[in-house]
Amino acid sequence: MSTNGNGNACYVYPGAPATPGFVTPDVLFQRGIYMNGSMTFDDGKSVTIWGFTDLAAGGGGGGGGDQMGGGSFPSPAIRVTEGQIVHTSLSVNMMWMHTIHHHGIEPSTENDGVGHLSWDVYNGTYTYQWRPQHAGTYFYHCHVNTPLHAEMGMYGALIVDPKPTPGDPAGTKRAFYNGPTYDVEAIWACDEIDPAWHTLPWYAGTCGGDVGLNNLNPRYFIITGVDGASSALTNPAVAVNMKLGQTLLVRYICAGFYPQKISFGGLIASVVASDGRPLPAAWNTGAIEAHSAERYDCIIKPTSTGIWTVSIQYLHWRTGAVLGTAKTRINVT
Amino acid sequence: MERRGFLKAGTAGFASLMTGTGLLSWAPRAEAATINKTLYITAGTQTMPDGVSIYVKGFSDSSADLNVPATPIICQEGDTLQITIINRLAVTHNFVIGGLKAGDPPLVSSGDIAGGGSKTITYTIPTGKAGSYLFYDNKTSYNVFLGLHGGLAIMPAGSSNQLYSGSPTFVKQLFWVFNDIDPALNNAVQNGTAVPTSLTPRYFTINGQTSLPPGAVGFDDPTKDAMANPETQLAGSVGDRTLVRMLNAGMCSHAVHTHANHMEWLTDRGTVRPSVWKKDVLYLRNQLGKIDAIYPFEAPPDAYPPVTTGHFPMHLHDEMSQTAGGGLYLFGAMTDIVFK
Repeated sequence: MSTNGNGNACYVYPGAPATPGFVTPDVLFQRGIYMNGSMTFDDGKSVTIWGFTDLAAGGGGGGGGDQMGGGSFPSPAIRVTEGQIVHTSLSVNMMWMHTIHHHGIEPSTENDGVGHLSWDVYNGTYTYQWRPQHAGTYFYHCHVNTPLHAEMGMYGALIVDPKPTPGDPAGTKRAFYNGPTYDVEAIWACDEIDPAWHTLPWYAGTCGGDVGLNNLNPRYFIITGVDGASSALTNPAVAVNMKLGQTLLVRYICAGFYPQKISFGGLIASVVASDGRPLPAAWNTGAIEAHSAERYDCIIKPTSTGIWTVSIQYLHWRTGAVLGTAKTRINVT
Repeated sequence: MERRGFLKAGTAGFASLMTGTGLLSWAPRAEAATINKTLYITAGTQTMPDGVSIYVKGFSDSSADLNVPATPIICQEGDTLQITIINRLAVTHNFVIGGLKAGDPPLVSSGDIAGGGSKTITYTIPTGKAGSYLFYDNKTSYNVFLGLHGGLAIMPAGSSNQLYSGSPTFVKQLFWVFNDIDPALNNAVQNGTAVPTSLTPRYFTINGQTSLPPGAVGFDDPTKDAMANPETQLAGSVGDRTLVRMLNAGMCSHAVHTHANHMEWLTDRGTVRPSVWKKDVLYLRNQLGKIDAIYPFEAPPDAYPPVTTGHFPMHLHDEMSQTAGGGLYLFGAMTDIVFK
């Protein structure tokens, strides 16, 4: 049995070694962590949130070196271009353990962020080294006591942009190499929140005992860190405002643990990629059923002005009952 | 109390499970054959990673075994299945091979098998039925959750490397049979009390086992650890394309997530997909959901420097399933992917 310095955690694998085959990267992301953030919902209640900080932007965790402050939720996005050598450094103090798993990115074992097969970063810094070969939508999250740490908010978007397609004017945005172009982008990471889980310590349950991590009873349903009850209808970080004639790319990330159904309010989405891979043929649909960690890249070209209400239903994994619905809008003028 | 044939899984049961080659082996035949099999409905207990003992039932290889899930059956189109089911328990059970596609009628049903009784089913497999099947007991809505289930692979006639005629090819194949356990149900069945109307699973298994991480008792023991069991573990060298027949015998839907490679998604609930999508997560439905996918064993594409070896997990991303007894992360439905 492995434990941390305080003896509170079991089946953890502390370490922060040098990166095998370390080279100078094309791009570097420096991540710290925060363990005392919060999110306030539309009903005025709030829960504790944990996440990753951007150390290069001065985000050290708010509380100085103790990482007990707050930060953005979701965590700052990682955005790279296919073919780049990427470094994601993660600095964790001696109070807890975390990793970064770049979900859908497929690096070596040492850089996959899975503690029982490598290490959980503890009392130091580990630099994950990887080189993405496929443009698309991914996300990154902590892989330590994952049911809890992901539920607590330790995730952020990870976007791999394609290499430029020859002949494209500067500024052209494509979903993937030689793939469809888009003008407006929305990243919708849809997640559910069970407040009862948000009072637990980082190591909860790892040594045994029933802390309820088998039983998720969400009360809030959010889109990219915004309450889907009403705020997400108008929050500019979530709701889409676009002009008629423009093309929208929705990067939909099923960031919760339960199945979801996203409906585009009567608009038809052309689904062009999933999980970071182009589909052999675009799939036109008004709704998508997805399960935890699936991603779908959806091209939407409204043919008239108007307001469309997008809804995400969160479904119980056993009964299929709708537990809640988050909503946002696509406004076309 | 259902005490007849009371056994302990993980001893005799897994001993018989371990006699195979590690993967589902198959050599096609030019001629159809009759596949004779006898299954014994037995019951006993299985110890969960937190030490809790759970009452389970299985379609077992002998009256002394307790196989959860049942030992896989593999055959080919044209074969005749002749399966005798001997009910070693005191209550009525049955045996059903589910249809190929969602909504299809069962391939075959035994009807009631009274306690202490037996039935033999005979079914000749027509062309067009190649695919992955779950066999189970549907005498009640919950018998399948108790462990009365197993996988049946029907190969296309004459083929050793296709799921169906014309499918992408593979070089190895195995089953991942998932189950979710709420001890309240198992206890109620064992004690003959009212079955709960609402279930909340506390244990999550793949091929009848949970993962046991480094440091845990039983870690790396293939008779106990789903990460080490050669019938569950995905192990191969680059190029060893492996067909995984995923069957959901449990009560919850799941998100099957592989690291290191995307999967080639061939079927959903028995229906061949219009085209092959490459996915790192597949939505495995409950209510007897099924998926077939090929894990291609390509060098992990995003490694730098490039690698061809390593260890990676397959786990369910509905992370509640990675726990046991409400905690114990890493003691759930997970296995190891080994690039040799």
